Amino acid sequence: MIKLLQIEFRKILTYKIFWILVGLYFLFLSSGILLAEFIINSMVDDTNRHLPIPVPHVNIYFFPSIWQNITFFATIRYVLIFPAIIIIMLITNEFTYKTIRQNVINGMSKAEFLNSKLLIILLMSVVMTVLLGIGTLIIGFAHTSDLTISLVLEKSTFILGYFISLLTFLVYSMFFGFILRNTGLSIALFTLYVFIIEPILYYFLKSPLVFKNSIYTYLPVNSILRISEYPSMPVLKKVMGLNLQDSLSLGSCCIPLAYALLMIGIVFWVLKKKDL
Amino acid sequence: METVLSISNISKRYGKIQAVSDLSLKVRQGQVFGILGPNGSGKTTTLSVILDLIKADSGTFRWFGNPPDKESRKRIGSVIESPNFYPYLSPVINMKIVADIKGHGHDDIDRVLRLTGLFDRRNTKFRTFSFGMKQRLAVASALLGNPEVLILDEPTNGLDPQGIAHIRELILMIAGQGTTIIIASHLLDEVQKVCSHVAVLSKGKKLFEGRVSEVLEISDSYELSSADMKILSDAIKTYPAFKSLVATQEKIQVYFASDVDPGELNQFLFQRGVTLTHLSERKRSLEQHFLELLENNK
Repeated sequence: MIKLLQIEFRKILTYKIFWILVGLYFLFLSSGILLAEFIINSMVDDTNRHLPIPVPHVNIYFFPSIWQNITFFATIRYVLIFPAIIIIMLITNEFTYKTIRQNVINGMSKAEFLNSKLLIILLMSVVMTVLLGIGTLIIGFAHTSDLTISLVLEKSTFILGYFISLLTFLVYSMFFGFILRNTGLSIALFTLYVFIIEPILYYFLKSPLVFKNSIYTYLPVNSILRISEYPSMPVLKKVMGLNLQDSLSLGSCCIPLAYALLMIGIVFWVLKKKDL
Repeated sequence: METVLSISNISKRYGKIQAVSDLSLKVRQGQVFGILGPNGSGKTTTLSVILDLIKADSGTFRWFGNPPDKESRKRIGSVIESPNFYPYLSPVINMKIVADIKGHGHDDIDRVLRLTGLFDRRNTKFRTFSFGMKQRLAVASALLGNPEVLILDEPTNGLDPQGIAHIRELILMIAGQGTTIIIASHLLDEVQKVCSHVAVLSKGKKLFEGRVSEVLEISDSYELSSADMKILSDAIKTYPAFKSLVATQEKIQVYFASDVDPGELNQFLFQRGVTLTHLSERKRSLEQHFLELLENNK
């Protein structure tokens, strides 16, 4: 395990493009989180111009709502796609440069190769979760006046939701990389699936004319997005009486995890069967 | 001698093309074994099978007497097809990855980089290397940690004459240490210069296998000429070991059934009134043998 991770580290430690992409992702994510409130409130201002009763400004950075809010913003498609592209690149590079062949020739088994990529995904998810957790704590402390331990920790399980979301989304992207083996094709098809194919499927299945059940909630990417479906909006709850998600349901994490396991199984099987 | 690699009845088909057909080989310890064949004869496919990159449709192979696994591959240093390295990493880091996978320390890296003349470029990215340097790095990675077996697929491909000479010297030096070496090549000259044993492949079939020196020792023809070619050709036909001849204007080429001593041949002809103006032994080269074999199997 440690040996595989060490080999993986050697592959990325001096790989400039990897770090540039990681840096960009980080910049994108943190500026998105820091600007979210400003963007929402300018949208509110915009709407208020047409409304007789103005909607109050939102404050998303206080405990405990911040856990849910930041998890929500960090797991929208546009943000998740970034690390997914990095993972696809790391995997398809091995096929493009035929280094997977050389790894196997030198004595790595195909299972070990797959494990090394899974370890990188796991590590990336852990590191991002820890960083996001620290960021949330810092921002939350700066925006909350009446601090109690229970208030700070109340919705902190949402960070676990972030971990599951990122982990499973990255496994999906890995699946595309291993099956298609080509960088451009994998990125294009994965992006197409996430942004176009699945949303179309979603609205098709959701339409009451097609199915009366909730099968649409079982779509792979949608099931990830449902882990934290909405930001925390106590205002909306009060004003409109909407009953929106308030806590992380661990049950909703099971669907994407099941998909991820299935994909890992398929990748393993294909890797065993197919020539390198 | 101990058998390092034994291949039994391996076949591999890609769609309509039979890449390897019922191939069996035995490579013993200390041999420099050449797999010789034109492009597309199944050399790389065979090497890919024995390195677990592709699965054979049928047949088996054994390394060091055991069914193959990743541990046996760690005892083998190999380069297949093109040099495959991470282009955005330096040679040193690429070598460290190889060493880590093989479970070696890193203390051998400087030695193999020096051996292949890449030490000065050890920290520049692989991407910036010329093809020849990439090829030499591939050889360096195969040499890492003194493997028991070295597999080289077209090791001098794309090198300049100096580079070719250098790599061949290196191969001979390593062979001198008792390392078993398997070389796939389409260059006869290469096999002739460095190999002790050879198997000739064509269209996935093994045509011939044996010691390189045995093949080269066959002297099966002599070139003769004399002032009167008519008397010469009549006289030579009475020689006991005579088999056949091909006559041209200036000389005749004579084939014999067994080994012939040129002195005795000369004396025999002189006794029959023929004075030779030209006598030369035509050793059948591996190249001729190779081409003949290919010709016969069309």
